[in-house]
Amino acid sequence: MSKKFSIMILFVCVVMTLLSVPVLAEDEVFQVAMVMPSKINDYSFSQSMYEALKVLQSEAGEDSFEIVYSEDMFNVADAREAIRDYADMGFDLVIAHGSQYGTSIQEIAPDYPETAFAWGNGTDFFGLDNVSVYQASAEQGGYVFGQIAAAVSENGKLGVCGPVESGDAKTYIDGFKNGAAEAGAEVSVTYTSSFSDVSLMSAAAETHMDEGAMVLTGTSQSIPGAVSVVKERDGLWLGVQWDTIPLAPENVLVSLVYDWTPILDEIIGNMAEGVYGGAAYDLTFENGGLQILWNTENLDIDQELIDMADDLAQKIVDGEIVPLPAG
Amino acid sequence: MPDKNNPAGSKQPMNRLQMIDITKQFPGVLANDHVNLDVSAGEILALLGENGAGKSTLMKQLYGLYQPDSGKILINEKECHFSSPTDAIHAGIGMIHQHFMLVSNLTVRENVALGLKSSKQPFLDLNTVEKKMMEICDTYNLKLNPRAFIWQLSVGEQQRVEIVKTLYRGADLLILDEPTAVLTPQEVDEFFLILKKMAQEKHLIIFISHKLNEVLAISDRVTILRDGRSVGQRENKNLTKTELAQMMVGRPVVLQYDREATVVGDVKLKIEDLWVKNDWNEDQVKGISLEIRSGEILGLAGVSGNGQRELAEALAGLRKCSKGHIEIEKKDMTKASPYERILAGQSYIPEERNKEGIVREFDIMENFILEDHDKIPYSKHLILNFSNIATATRKAVDDFSVKTPTLTTKVKNLSGGNIQKLILARELNRNPKILIAAQPTRGVDIGATEYIHRRLLKQRKEGTATLLISEDLDEIRALSDRIAVIFEGRIMGIVDGPTATAEKLGLMMAGAQEEIQI
Amino acid sequence: MGNLFSTATIFGIIGMAIRLAMPYLYAGLGELFNQAAGCFNLGVEGIMMMGAFSAFYVVYQTGNLLLGIIAAAVVGLLMGLIMSLISVTFKAAQGISGIGLTMFGVGLSSLLFKTLLQGTVLSVSGFTPIKIPFLGDIPYIGETFFQNNLMVYLAYCLIPVCSIVLYKTTLGLKIRSVGQNPQAADTLGVSVIKIRYLCVCIGSILAGIAGATFSIANINMFQEKMTNGTGYIAVALVYFSGWKPKGVLFGALLFSFVNALQLRMQVLGINIPSDIAMMLPYILTIVTLIFVQSRDAPAALSVPYERSEN
Repeated sequence: MSKKFSIMILFVCVVMTLLSVPVLAEDEVFQVAMVMPSKINDYSFSQSMYEALKVLQSEAGEDSFEIVYSEDMFNVADAREAIRDYADMGFDLVIAHGSQYGTSIQEIAPDYPETAFAWGNGTDFFGLDNVSVYQASAEQGGYVFGQIAAAVSENGKLGVCGPVESGDAKTYIDGFKNGAAEAGAEVSVTYTSSFSDVSLMSAAAETHMDEGAMVLTGTSQSIPGAVSVVKERDGLWLGVQWDTIPLAPENVLVSLVYDWTPILDEIIGNMAEGVYGGAAYDLTFENGGLQILWNTENLDIDQELIDMADDLAQKIVDGEIVPLPAG
Repeated sequence: MPDKNNPAGSKQPMNRLQMIDITKQFPGVLANDHVNLDVSAGEILALLGENGAGKSTLMKQLYGLYQPDSGKILINEKECHFSSPTDAIHAGIGMIHQHFMLVSNLTVRENVALGLKSSKQPFLDLNTVEKKMMEICDTYNLKLNPRAFIWQLSVGEQQRVEIVKTLYRGADLLILDEPTAVLTPQEVDEFFLILKKMAQEKHLIIFISHKLNEVLAISDRVTILRDGRSVGQRENKNLTKTELAQMMVGRPVVLQYDREATVVGDVKLKIEDLWVKNDWNEDQVKGISLEIRSGEILGLAGVSGNGQRELAEALAGLRKCSKGHIEIEKKDMTKASPYERILAGQSYIPEERNKEGIVREFDIMENFILEDHDKIPYSKHLILNFSNIATATRKAVDDFSVKTPTLTTKVKNLSGGNIQKLILARELNRNPKILIAAQPTRGVDIGATEYIHRRLLKQRKEGTATLLISEDLDEIRALSDRIAVIFEGRIMGIVDGPTATAEKLGLMMAGAQEEIQI
Repeated sequence: MGNLFSTATIFGIIGMAIRLAMPYLYAGLGELFNQAAGCFNLGVEGIMMMGAFSAFYVVYQTGNLLLGIIAAAVVGLLMGLIMSLISVTFKAAQGISGIGLTMFGVGLSSLLFKTLLQGTVLSVSGFTPIKIPFLGDIPYIGETFFQNNLMVYLAYCLIPVCSIVLYKTTLGLKIRSVGQNPQAADTLGVSVIKIRYLCVCIGSILAGIAGATFSIANINMFQEKMTNGTGYIAVALVYFSGWKPKGVLFGALLFSFVNALQLRMQVLGINIPSDIAMMLPYILTIVTLIFVQSRDAPAALSVPYERSEN
């Protein structure tokens, strides 16, 4: 028994040592650590941020821009340890990519004034000058997509597959409902109460389609389940957060892509000037963070539709359209 | 394997079985040491010995559950090897275990068919099984409903299922392990008739027992085991109980106790119209009223499952009473907790000693102070005083002759008899006013039983009011001043202890009402 | 807003319940075999994930659905052998070794997914609905009951098969007796160890297939942790069923029906908070479990068998 135990301890030690090797990286390199609730290829929220970091890395050169990440940090307690470890290792920027990490940031950031923290889908930087918060104005994209969906739907029925009724999933869906309603379409929404239940997500999509909706949208990393149903039944899918076209090239009409590069550029730029935080950033059509990616490669899309979407986005930028009614 | 058309099998019938020089070693124990046994067709051989004498081990080797380290098993003078029960069954050996080997949620006929090839393999053919089974029942006068579930049957009926099951497999030799332990005297008589019938049909029967009366009543010959050795093989002619007991225990044993006259005093425990439910929320004790006085032993006789367990637990405060009263020394204790009852001077020896009487993983000292650990001298200001505990435990262990290597031996490593003596030491150490003793000698060897009986009588002399709950009629008759008989949760009658006959008690245990005489 | 009581909607809900019940049937019947023989296998979830991955990977590489199912069954069998080795031969505590097996299966499937498929969500063409001649043409009923894929039909065929095996064969009698009273079975020459191995392996094969239904007979893609607790629900279903195949069918259908119903209610805009709606099937399961008491509960469930010394 005790022998087994000591072997285990030894094993853990070895693993820890191996993991701690990256600490020894040189100082010239800009080091970014990212903690995320799902995976870097979730076709969704986490992937959008990871891909943005990759863009910055290729611009700056791999030698001077290092990215380290922790996936599947759905458990907040684990995430808190990871965030603290990264700060401890001297990373320049620690990105906590999820609204659930707020309390951890609030607790850890004051201990590491030399490290900049960024909190995704955050609401507040707690008055700390080394914390930035960023979120997506998902309702803007939702509004435009609601209009697009209403325009392509033949019977005016639309389906939305959501995970839980909160966060940017909810703001996107609210914007979508608003946009669709203004275009005269009928929207039904399902929530599966889970980010990961693929099977239930596909059942939800099936139910929408049973009730006549052929144009669907949805968010969370479980949407591949819904997309597979849309593909099987030859409907249309509008993707959010990241490019979902590879999931079903023939059936994804358009994707609302979150491009975090402008915001990251700003955060990192500020750091060069000695400003480590104390600001909030929004991903909008205006700053180019929300992008509409049409699947023109595989589908024959009416130019009028594209123009309409661009026009709506512009109107939101100009303040002519308010995607979410006040209140 | 029994022939499909003839359950008794078409193999050569067994005429003689011999076990020669069987030795079996377990870690630390020589369970069988050159044991010999010989039985022929038409003969009933009794295998007599105390618990731990090696009877079960010997029979398990015959039944293929264990393999002997050395020695031979001969059938019809030819050597056989059994590596599993299947081999033994094929050779015509059947075993009826003390704890019935029946699957309670299967029907009688499913139990009979279990493990056998069917005529419609792989599908079951229960109708054929039923037909053949009923033929056996008719031959031996066994009454059974083949489609009843086992859990619906009485213990006696379950035993019949075991017998049919064994005969169905074509057994020539039947090993019966303590078969009468669970039966009423009338059922025992009936059972003996079945055994004699089987012997007439040229079966070989090995009857394992430690009840001397039964051995003398039924067997043709007796083989006696003690400490793993065969210490005697006798024809059942002019044998006496005293002689058998002495061979079994290795020293003279007193089978009859002197019950000195005592002064019967006040009522210590009064039970009035008590109703108690069982685990399935059915009434199990139905309006029992009893009074037990200082200096007397009231025996409660009855076949197990007639409410004794529930009554004992209600008296100990472990089970809620749905109606009625319990008074200890005229004080109402119906709703008192077990601890309050202990404080009031009541001691309780539970039926399930391994589950309720002791903590198996604790050592002897810890078990000894379970109830009084919070009192001086065992502890003071919440701190245990181990030297006092050790002194008291040592004295009790010596007084009650508990055989143990050390005081820190874990109780699970003691034999049943020693565990029971330890419980008795703990409970009597407090010199209780009232003692509830449920099955105090069940599974305990004859030596320890004798000792426990003496202690109960000593306690009686010192003025304790004792309720002795037992299924062993000999024990009840030997110790009790008065005997109450329980049947289906009701008291059938209370009779004078010394003059009660087994026949009379047996009838009452089967439900015949007796005029109440107090 | 639509009407919950229109014929199309009602049949739609039933149809979805029938499809959603499929993995619960395979996994639940598998677990039933385990438990009938007295083995409590909490590793179902892990076996399902391994089944889901291996089926997906084989179909992705070969395009052969039958090979996919066989792969899932073989992987299930291997996992079952591990489980029986731990719990039957080495007599380890079954609850905790099952949880260990689940963690192993879920973890290994994720690892394989990352190494063999670079963690990319891909899709394959899985089992397609087969319309049964004539019956499939009946309005509503045909569409609901007779236009499903092969794995759905097989799941329902499995119910009577399991019933017959457990209640009408000599093997079934042995299995039930081993779960109830292994000592009794042993004395009658039934090998408790063999029967338990057999049942754990049958159960694990079915669990593997249950996993495969996710990746090649329903969603037709693989994602990490995609079974999302189905294995545990299947274990609960066995308790719910009173250890009878019919009960598993009833439980799986009830659970799936409530799930389908709440989704439909959300789609139809019937105003219930989505969290409450999602809880419904689970609440129903728990409430039923409280009231279910069965004499068929295997008395020796999760007790390793040892020949006693006395």
